[in-house]
Amino acid sequence: MECIITIDLGTNAVRVMAFDIKGNVIASTKGTYPTFHVEADYSEQDPEQIFITMLYVLKNFLTEKIHPKGFTVVSICFSASMHSLLMVDKSGVPMGNAITWADNRGKKEAQELKNSELGRQLYESTGTPIHPMSPLVKVTWLGRNDRERFKKTSKFLSIKSYVLQQLTSGYVLDYSLASATGFFNNQKLQWEQAALDHAGIDAERLPELVPVFHSPGKLRKEFQTSLGLKDTVKIMVGSSDGCLATLGGGVWDEGKAIITVEDSGAVRTIGRHVIRDANQRLFNYVLTQDCYVSGGPTNNGGVIFEWYAKQFGDFRNPFDIEHTIQHLIHEASDVPVGSLGLLFLPYLLGERAPIWNANARGTFFGINIKHEKQHFVRAVIEGILYEMYSIGKTLQEHRTINHLTVNGSFASIPLCAKIIADLFRMPVSIGKNPDSIAQGAYLLSATDMGIFNSLDEAARTVVLSTTYSPNTNHHRSYQRYFSVFEKLSTRLSAEFEELSELQHEQP
Amino acid sequence: MNQFTLIQGPSRELESFPHIREFALAKNTTIQLDSFIPSEAEQLLIYCVVEGKFEWFVNGREYILYPGDIAFVLPGQKIGGAKGFLEIGTIFRLHLDLHRNESDLSLGEWSSLSSCESLSIEKMLLVNNLSVLLKVKEGIEILHQIHNELINPEIGHVTRVNHFIDSLLIIIARQSTRQADPRRDFPRTFMKLEQELRRNLSHQWSVEEMAALFGLGTTAFTEKVKHHTGFSPLNYLINIRISEAIKLLKRPDVNFTNIALDTGFYSSQHFSTTFKKLTGYTPGQFRKRSLLNDNT
Repeated sequence: MECIITIDLGTNAVRVMAFDIKGNVIASTKGTYPTFHVEADYSEQDPEQIFITMLYVLKNFLTEKIHPKGFTVVSICFSASMHSLLMVDKSGVPMGNAITWADNRGKKEAQELKNSELGRQLYESTGTPIHPMSPLVKVTWLGRNDRERFKKTSKFLSIKSYVLQQLTSGYVLDYSLASATGFFNNQKLQWEQAALDHAGIDAERLPELVPVFHSPGKLRKEFQTSLGLKDTVKIMVGSSDGCLATLGGGVWDEGKAIITVEDSGAVRTIGRHVIRDANQRLFNYVLTQDCYVSGGPTNNGGVIFEWYAKQFGDFRNPFDIEHTIQHLIHEASDVPVGSLGLLFLPYLLGERAPIWNANARGTFFGINIKHEKQHFVRAVIEGILYEMYSIGKTLQEHRTINHLTVNGSFASIPLCAKIIADLFRMPVSIGKNPDSIAQGAYLLSATDMGIFNSLDEAARTVVLSTTYSPNTNHHRSYQRYFSVFEKLSTRLSAEFEELSELQHEQP
Repeated sequence: MNQFTLIQGPSRELESFPHIREFALAKNTTIQLDSFIPSEAEQLLIYCVVEGKFEWFVNGREYILYPGDIAFVLPGQKIGGAKGFLEIGTIFRLHLDLHRNESDLSLGEWSSLSSCESLSIEKMLLVNNLSVLLKVKEGIEILHQIHNELINPEIGHVTRVNHFIDSLLIIIARQSTRQADPRRDFPRTFMKLEQELRRNLSHQWSVEEMAALFGLGTTAFTEKVKHHTGFSPLNYLINIRISEAIKLLKRPDVNFTNIALDTGFYSSQHFSTTFKKLTGYTPGQFRKRSLLNDNT
């Protein structure tokens, strides 16, 4: 029996899943790696630890769960989180840790570029919002602040490029991840000269651009031996987590969108053309030559609810946050829509789409003497989802959306899926495979193998298990509360800035 | 001042306890200026409030202590009254001699804690670095027991006093872990463990020692780590060891034996076998590959 392996190099962990040829999940596993914050605003990961964790997890997975069941691996497809940057010297040895999407050291560089005419042009041609997350901004920062390392860098890579180079050889980057670097012209599908010039590098110092179906070469002999894989296994470069989650969520036709909320979140649609948002609020990432994933990311997803649970939840057993969260969700579900007029802005981590304000902060608004603990719980949940709705509304300025898929551990909570359906007044479905990134990677591999004729055909096979219908009365109530939420989200920006300065002064 | 004070040397009661420098149950009835000026501790000091309210300056911070609260001061840290004097009230004072080298402190032979337990307790105290513990339930009770045993020495009192001191250290360590992290945030506590592992990678870590930082038993700890990381605690540690070894292998100036020992393998043989099993390369082959400007 043949099987397909998918490997996602995510923000906190590598996730490995195996599918049979028909797309049934055989097994899955994960291995985490740490993020280091050596200074405020810094967010780094060790490329060697990521590589070894991936190898360790894969090896155990194959020997414990795949080979004993008689499966032969025919293809391994990769995905990874976007925006990571790793510098290697001329021998390919990493110079320091990889810088993740959450790193904010390039704040100043981003602000300057964003406010310039060049910034506007680069956003248009690359589709990557100008933000500290963008490798374009990170490289610019290095050129100004870490001259020595900048000069010694032979290649500026993504973590996935490094891992693939270790496994095979040669430095490659797929169009999807490339389109999240800020260096990639998403129409011409090549490096954007104006971006290279701005950062002061030439294309030689970036990896080779390849389509998502490309293979960087055979697995090195040593890994074939240690993993027990044949040399015929196709190593496929694959795509980004965001693009694959969209494909794996079955979002293919115009009119559909997917809302993902894990720790962070995003709303995404797919289309044959990019969206040109005059306010630079939305991204456009390339899945294939004629297929773009457009949408907006938020920093403040399930991680905010977890924060609330840790601070204010009741812990029955040490470290048992699952139980605490379940209990809070239960409490919140008994509270009426709108939490009796208590609003929560979830910007504890600053915000990206749609307000793109790193200084934004969390806010409870409208507390009155009748509010009790459970109203706060529901307000937090509603606040996180108002923000998703706000991104969705921005997308609706450009696209018609009439059906939603949700995924990710937070959005898939039934209470959350219901609130999303009511907010948008649209049917909301949850995919059968909770890991739609892996599902998308499977679809990519299977299409490559000729199991499906096209990605279009592949995406239509995605099974949506549960569907929630909207309640019109709830929708009306939410509209009134959301109107206040939306105004607050931008009206407080002067105070957010003043307060964030004060907070930065604290030791 | 109504004092019960035993001091090593003059007090015969402490003859069998060379590690106890001082033990006192001090009832302070008047305020004397400059009676408690902040100064650096030479031993491990445990101050426990029995009655009254005290404002103390402990290890760089001011605290208000109430009955049941314990100030725990490591050698080299400072303690004293916030206003330089001792307020009215009653406190227990226990000064213990410790062997402290660079980063470790160790109890003496008098302690009946197993070496693994005492190592875990030391780690908990050092990592948490908390100077004031609030409402340590059994604290006062244990100190009263020590007091009774010292003034009425009956058969077995040496053993009992030492046991009580062990108990006191155990509950202080447990409380410090609970207080340092209210046991809500597993990822954050795990990050602390990860830092400790990296800081001391050549140490032969046991699961018990790691679990101690969480205040959990080994079974619950292993289950939580597995759920959180996908690895058992020891496999997670091997993962870090190999990752660090790879970085050293990419530097031509470090020899294999040093790499092996620095990253916590028993020997270069042990390192080589583990490395090859996972990566398919011997350390030598791997180094050769990464030093060639490889285009294989």
